Amino acid sequence: MGGTKADPATTSFSWSKVFTRQSEWSDKDEFLDIIYWIRQVLGVLLGLVWGLIPLTGILGLGLFFVTNAGLVYLYFSSYHRVDEEEFGGAWELTKEGFMTSFAGFLVTWIIVYSGMHFTEQDLQPFS
Amino acid sequence: MWSDTLLILFISVVTAFFGEGLTWLMVYRTEKYQKLKSEVERQCKKLEKRKETSGESVALKNTKKKLEREEEKLKTNTRDLSLFKMRSMLAIGIVFTALLSIFNSIFDGRIVAKLPFIPIGFLQGISHRNLPGTDYSDCSFIFLYILCTMSIRQSSIQAERKYVWTSSTKHLIKGGDDAH
Repeated sequence: MGGTKADPATTSFSWSKVFTRQSEWSDKDEFLDIIYWIRQVLGVLLGLVWGLIPLTGILGLGLFFVTNAGLVYLYFSSYHRVDEEEFGGAWELTKEGFMTSFAGFLVTWIIVYSGMHFTEQDLQPFS
Repeated sequence: MWSDTLLILFISVVTAFFGEGLTWLMVYRTEKYQKLKSEVERQCKKLEKRKETSGESVALKNTKKKLEREEEKLKTNTRDLSLFKMRSMLAIGIVFTALLSIFNSIFDGRIVAKLPFIPIGFLQGISHRNLPGTDYSDCSFIFLYILCTMSIRQSSIQAERKYVWTSSTKHLIKGGDDAH
């Protein structure tokens, strides 16, 4: 330590642990980071699928909340079986990176939905 | 209709990287920042070590006082570090506001995307800003730009926290980092 970057030994670990069932997480921040990044990828993927189908309105938004929270909950409670209390409860883990993921989801959803189902003429009727 | 949306995404990625570059130039690269940071790290380790070794003797008045003094010193240095960062962030904020107003005028009155949902009341003011008609599924530049920035900036801050800060200092700096 002491340099400007974290020790590579502590940063390269994660990816092998991510897909290993019931991995040991001695560093809580490490697991929270994993949850954060998984959630970002999930947000973009869901936005892509929602835009392609396309899902719209409250149904699309509601399904995103349920899928995102549900999959992440399953990931930490069933796949890794972590002790939620160590991380401040299930709620703390469920909301980790949620707003950023939601923003990423909205961006992808809007871009794909507009790109796939509308033309320039549909969007600029006043020009 | 991809061109406008992808252009806005590109703009927000570029401005986010530009912002990070500016932060690096004005904060991380500077000698004062490096000095303060290594000082905070050194004090953190020293304090942790002292707390471990003192263990039971922490009840003694002398040891307790010494620990308190060191904690106070660490707090002062951490505050200086946050203050130093904040000043630069303010300058960067001004640059960003100027950039935003330029892009805003370029896309003024232009429907850049179609929203797959109708935003709730107070959000319609942003999502339909300066757009003609009453179709609230029309999306303005500013709405998409804010969403892109929210997503990209927050993730870059998260990555920075992981790779720039060492584990001993990131808990201390976390509060100050949230501000930018």
